[in-house]
Amino acid sequence: MRFTPGAKVRARVLDPDHHIRLPRYVRGQVGEVIEAEGEGPLPDDRARGLIPPRVETVYAVRFRAAELWGTGTHSVTVDLWESYLEEVP
Amino acid sequence: MGGQSGFGPVPVTEDSGAFHADWEARVFALNAVLRKRGLYNVDEFRDAIERIPPGAYLAASYFERWLMGIEILLADKGIA
Repeated sequence: MRFTPGAKVRARVLDPDHHIRLPRYVRGQVGEVIEAEGEGPLPDDRARGLIPPRVETVYAVRFRAAELWGTGTHSVTVDLWESYLEEVP
Repeated sequence: MGGQSGFGPVPVTEDSGAFHADWEARVFALNAVLRKRGLYNVDEFRDAIERIPPGAYLAASYFERWLMGIEILLADKGIA
């Protein structure tokens, strides 16, 4: 587990040819780690039938709606695999 | 929808339940059976829905997309 609750993380800007479970609307955006939710197989690998799929820690990451869309007072929490995230210095 | 704006509000009615028509429940059940039988996993299913041509995707309802995703996977795997 690389990120701890409260850590600021940036969703990487990734756009592979294959499936990725990283919503376009959070790519490049900074959020806060709420918790590590355990380990899960990487959707990229499972969608392509790669056996065995890579297994990574999945984090609940909260983003402010206003930062994603310019408006709104709510937040959006997204489950993101560790390789989708990078540290924010 | 999909992080995009401009689709207007989502209509919500008190008693709409999970399905709006019988065929939607059938599509839901079909997907469950095919997955339980190991024909594909949920990530392949999501990937298939993402491979629906954009125009068809945007014009389709939620369970129409499920059905198109199932059709794509069954064709890919040579089952139907």
